[in-house]
Amino acid sequence: MEVNITRENNIITVRFSGRMDTPGAQEITPKMNTLAEEADKTIILDCTDLSYISSSGLRIFLTLRKAAADKGGKIIVRNICDSIRSVFMMTGFLNLFEIQSAK
Amino acid sequence: MKSNKKDNKKGGLSIKSRLLLVVVATITLEATAIIQFVFAQREIKQEASLRAKSELTSAEHKIMDVVNQAEAAVRNSIWVAEWCLEYPDSLHRIPQRVVSENPVVVGSTMALVPGYNAEHPLYAPYVARDLETGKLRTLSLATEEYDYPSMEWFTKPIELNDSYWSEPYFDENGGDILMTTFSMPVKDKNGTIAAILTADISLDWLTELIGDIKVYPNAFNMVISRKGNIMVCPVETLVMNTTVDQFAMESEDYEALDRVNQAMLSGQSGEMPVRYQGETNHVYFSPVERTGWSMSIVLPEKELFSGVRRIGMIVKLLQLLGVAMLIVILRVAAKNQAKYQSLNEQKERIENELHIAREIQMAMIPKTFPPFPERKDLDLAASIIPAKEVGGDLYDFFIRDEKLFFCIGDVSGKGIPASLVMAVTRSLFRAMSAHEDSPAKIIASMNDTMSESNESNMFVTFFCGVLDLNAGHLRYCNAGHNPPMILTDAIRMLPLEPNVPLGILKGMDFVEQETTFNYDDALLLYTDGLSEAENAAHEQFGESRVEEALHGRKSAEAHLENIKQKVSLFVGDAPQSDDLTILFIHYLGNENKYPHHLTLHNDIEQISLLPEFVETVADQAKLDPETTMNLNLALEEAVANVISYAYPKGTDGLVDIDASVVEHKITFVITDSGIAFDPTAKEEVDITLGMDERPIGGLGIHLVRTIMDTVSYERKEEQNILTITKSY
Repeated sequence: MEVNITRENNIITVRFSGRMDTPGAQEITPKMNTLAEEADKTIILDCTDLSYISSSGLRIFLTLRKAAADKGGKIIVRNICDSIRSVFMMTGFLNLFEIQSAK
Repeated sequence: MKSNKKDNKKGGLSIKSRLLLVVVATITLEATAIIQFVFAQREIKQEASLRAKSELTSAEHKIMDVVNQAEAAVRNSIWVAEWCLEYPDSLHRIPQRVVSENPVVVGSTMALVPGYNAEHPLYAPYVARDLETGKLRTLSLATEEYDYPSMEWFTKPIELNDSYWSEPYFDENGGDILMTTFSMPVKDKNGTIAAILTADISLDWLTELIGDIKVYPNAFNMVISRKGNIMVCPVETLVMNTTVDQFAMESEDYEALDRVNQAMLSGQSGEMPVRYQGETNHVYFSPVERTGWSMSIVLPEKELFSGVRRIGMIVKLLQLLGVAMLIVILRVAAKNQAKYQSLNEQKERIENELHIAREIQMAMIPKTFPPFPERKDLDLAASIIPAKEVGGDLYDFFIRDEKLFFCIGDVSGKGIPASLVMAVTRSLFRAMSAHEDSPAKIIASMNDTMSESNESNMFVTFFCGVLDLNAGHLRYCNAGHNPPMILTDAIRMLPLEPNVPLGILKGMDFVEQETTFNYDDALLLYTDGLSEAENAAHEQFGESRVEEALHGRKSAEAHLENIKQKVSLFVGDAPQSDDLTILFIHYLGNENKYPHHLTLHNDIEQISLLPEFVETVADQAKLDPETTMNLNLALEEAVANVISYAYPKGTDGLVDIDASVVEHKITFVITDSGIAFDPTAKEEVDITLGMDERPIGGLGIHLVRTIMDTVSYERKEEQNILTITKSY
């Protein structure tokens, strides 16, 4: 599980790649907690290279989403594959997140 | 004829044939005794002849020893004597030397030929040893009374111009001592005989030596001189008084005695029979070299064969006794004939009844194989090979509520009592297991009933098992029976608690044990008739051979046949002493129930192993990638829950995952030994809630529920078992 964070004009882009399963999520939690402090900005969660997500990953997404709601920031989830989309659907996340597609 | 026929039918003997038997036996015994007697006589004669000859030879050696010493005493002094002829004054020293230097010589003389010396026309100094004091004294033989030149010891060597042993004689000076003299001519430079040198030896040792030869207690020995004078003989008055010739004249068998006498006098050796005083005697004789003597041993024939006669008498007596006994036995046998006949009939009847008892007994136990042809999860075969008698082995089995109840047992002892106890045991087993699933309880209640009414103190070694055919779970209890063998990856003995056999003590507790059978596991139960089957050399078949016979995968029936064949080959012709019972249970349930398996430690990192595991399950079901991912997700959530909640942080524990694909249904069973934790008890998360109300947790179990069709939790035997299924 890799995370690549880039900042450009107050927009933070987080690129995930690999599987965000339980150990993967555990691995990136400290980085994500730090990122949550900047939740007043726009954070784009780029899921182009994310192939899998489990509830631990969803929890990270939800934590960021809550932080953004508190601090007046914005979370955009970009490019989720079909299987992750179905997980989002099962968990009602489609209603909680703004989801963008590259096209 | 009629009575004869009857006799023959009963296998008895008629009086005629009995008589014939006695006569034939007597004649045979007699003939054997006669042949034995003749051969024994011949042997004894040969033996006696050998012994007599060897005694004669040995006596001759002893005589020659003395004779040689005397001859040597004279010969060794001849040269000195010749030298001394020129010094007549020193002539007396020669006999002195001969006597003093040779202990066997008792007297010696150097007698000059009359007229050889002008000064001493007659000169013969004689040195004698006093037999009592051992002192030497010197006399002269040149006296008027003695007239030595006319003596045989003097005249013969001159006549022969050689050495000469004189005829034995009684020494006139020294008393009653039998003597003989060796004389040798002494020649001067011209070769003329100038004197005669002599050595006298006493012959009393000869009497002793010859008298000591005792071939048989009543045998006697004789020595005669060349002139036929008796030198040694048991009758002392005859010694040197009588010739054999004179003696023979008076005897009844003159011719034979004369023949012996002539043979002895002419120096022959041999053996001849002579009749004397009404008895046959065997005379063995042999000459003594140089002296002209002849020795003989006389053996009375009566004496020779007395041993054989005694044995003959004993044999005769034994024969008589044997014939008498034969007659008695024949009479008794005839009397008992009828008795045996009726006993035999009784025995046959009992054997017949035992046979029927056996058949009834065998009808009680299941004998149709395969017993459950409709079941694919069980292959079972059993057999009892009965010993000649009815025995006390049993086995039994039946299926109730998807459980196989089975047992094997061996009643102590044999025969009808054992078979009755066996029948009772089997009935009790059926009765007690009709409503009870626990083998220990079945055995305990059987034991109580059997102990109560056990007056004959018989007991039963018994093994009872209950196999859950669905799960492969086996509960068993052993009451003193030999351990069954379990066939899994390896063959080993089923671990057993040492419980006492049935029927010994009422109220005993029995320990129950358990194990789980997997697909293809098997169990062999047997009685000691198998392990203790003996061959002719009394070696036992043994557990190691039982184990050897179990190698290789076969059907239960094939296993059974194989074992039976191996035992039969081992035992060979040795009679079977005990029932031989085998029960073989081959479990074929549980097959592919959960062919996929994964074990994880309670470490979050181990979750990375799940995708590959799910992939293999999905491959079998040929699932699309999305469903595969969903299954992975559901499994991960379930496992992550266990790792996070069932095991406290810092403890080590395992999570077992079994998976199966059966009829378009995928099942995962997640098992752990952690603290009780029921994830299904969690409240369902409401996914319709807005951002502010949404809790962070609870998504995992929600995903499991959403993805899977069924989620069920069970706490069993200290384990959390979560089963999740999904049909596709």
